Amino acid sequence: MKDIIRVQSLLSVGVEAAINQQIKKEAQSSSIYLAMASWCDRNGFDNSADYFFKQSEEERAHQLKFYKYVLDMGGTAISPEVTNIKIEYNSFREVFEDALEQEVSVTESIKAIAARCHKEQDYVTLEFLNWFFKEQREEEYKARRALELFDVIGEAGTGRWEIDHHVSKIKYDNE
Amino acid sequence: MEVTEVTYATEFTEVFTTKAGAIYQCDNESCWYIDFAGKLARFDYRCLLKLNKAINVIDIEKRLLDSSSPDMEIIFICACDDTYVLTLTQIIAFKELLQGTFVMLELNNIICTRLYRTAV
Repeated sequence: MKDIIRVQSLLSVGVEAAINQQIKKEAQSSSIYLAMASWCDRNGFDNSADYFFKQSEEERAHQLKFYKYVLDMGGTAISPEVTNIKIEYNSFREVFEDALEQEVSVTESIKAIAARCHKEQDYVTLEFLNWFFKEQREEEYKARRALELFDVIGEAGTGRWEIDHHVSKIKYDNE
Repeated sequence: MEVTEVTYATEFTEVFTTKAGAIYQCDNESCWYIDFAGKLARFDYRCLLKLNKAINVIDIEKRLLDSSSPDMEIIFICACDDTYVLTLTQIIAFKELLQGTFVMLELNNIICTRLYRTAV
């Protein structure tokens, strides 16, 4: 008897569902960053708004990378519905706290997919995920560094203006 | 002019059978035939996965406890030729049939990999 399912797709049903969940998560991240960019722009933090616009584009690129992988491997990529995006923040600091929390949650989610791949011996997907792990190193670093600026510079006086100024300079070049 | 008619014998391999029905695989067409609820329906790879998902999402326990919910369910799979109208008892039987089928297909995958695909 032919192994039709394996011939049609490299991905197991479970791994495909997990990646589709991740596609949704990346789309949500992209929208959250867009909402953060909007809040920053409305409140006069132009550099931070630009930073979040860039982050939003990156998350969208991640979403498409997952999306195309599912299709290339013979699976069905599902275009996600994104709802309940927070649009108001209580403070400038809260925006960055949420951003870090978002990145941590993305890293954990990808780790869970990798654990599943290990279990199913899906080394092809595991290798594909490696790119994302490297990316998450950078994403978490940037988000953590941005939050660190609040403690290093302080928010009093022109502190928030300084923080906004330094956010655009955050770089991670440790390969 | 000589006309040669080429016909392929449609060979079915039984994948899983229960008292309520059976699922057969057709290697020539790379699809499955489901003999259930009084009809034989053809499902390709994507439709079979969609059917399995549609059946699995039905919360049977909730349906049984909720007296206001109907005792029938219409299983409509987008882009598939067949639709099922099933009672709760049939849904339970269909679930069992599909679960058994997917276990057998997974087993077939393991056998194919071990016997023909791996070098060691």
